[in-house]
Amino acid sequence: MGQDLKEAIDHMSITTQMETRLIAAFAPLELEIVDDSASHAGHAGNPGGGRETHFNLRIVSAAFAGQSRVARHRAVHAALGDLVPQIHALSLDLAAP
Amino acid sequence: MSDAQNQIKETVTTNDVVLFMKGTKMMPQCGFSSRVAGVLNFMGLEYTDVNVLADEAIRQGIKEYSDWPTIPQLYVKGEFVGGCDIITEMMLSGELDTLFEENGVTFNKDAADQIRAANA
Repeated sequence: MGQDLKEAIDHMSITTQMETRLIAAFAPLELEIVDDSASHAGHAGNPGGGRETHFNLRIVSAAFAGQSRVARHRAVHAALGDLVPQIHALSLDLAAP
Repeated sequence: MSDAQNQIKETVTTNDVVLFMKGTKMMPQCGFSSRVAGVLNFMGLEYTDVNVLADEAIRQGIKEYSDWPTIPQLYVKGEFVGGCDIITEMMLSGELDTLFEENGVTFNKDAADQIRAANA
């Protein structure tokens, strides 16, 4: 398998796994997963560029109603589980409808 | 508790405001740490900065201490407040001002209003 193809498959799997886990955990009304890795190419965490390292997530879910900001973030960290240590940066915008 | 956990607990309980960050408040080494330190600096806040890049035990230990996987992390009077996203949101909503006021932490209110005006 060519390196580019292998990277493309690895790339797809993190985003897809994130999406699957977030839908299962929060049944979101809105779910936006933005891979912002390219704009961090050459920075810490993505030194060579091309890897899937920086994400911006926006989630609107009734599950967040009545929760503090810290509690919402913790819930997302828990839902993503072992994906969190695999990426360098995760920016979260979490809201209740 | 391990040495790192004890050291973290002592740092956050003996200093009113502590920012665990990558780099220092004068020379941040990560965009997210830089954003939070920049806000606190502009607000004229006196705070203790802990450079986690200088101590691997603290870098790992702080994530366990707060059960929070990322850095930066802000503490006020020993309580974990949040990371970059939360501090940014609280800054813009005015909740960060309230938190500092309630805890007797002095800062430049005009500077805080300037940040909000610039991001309105």
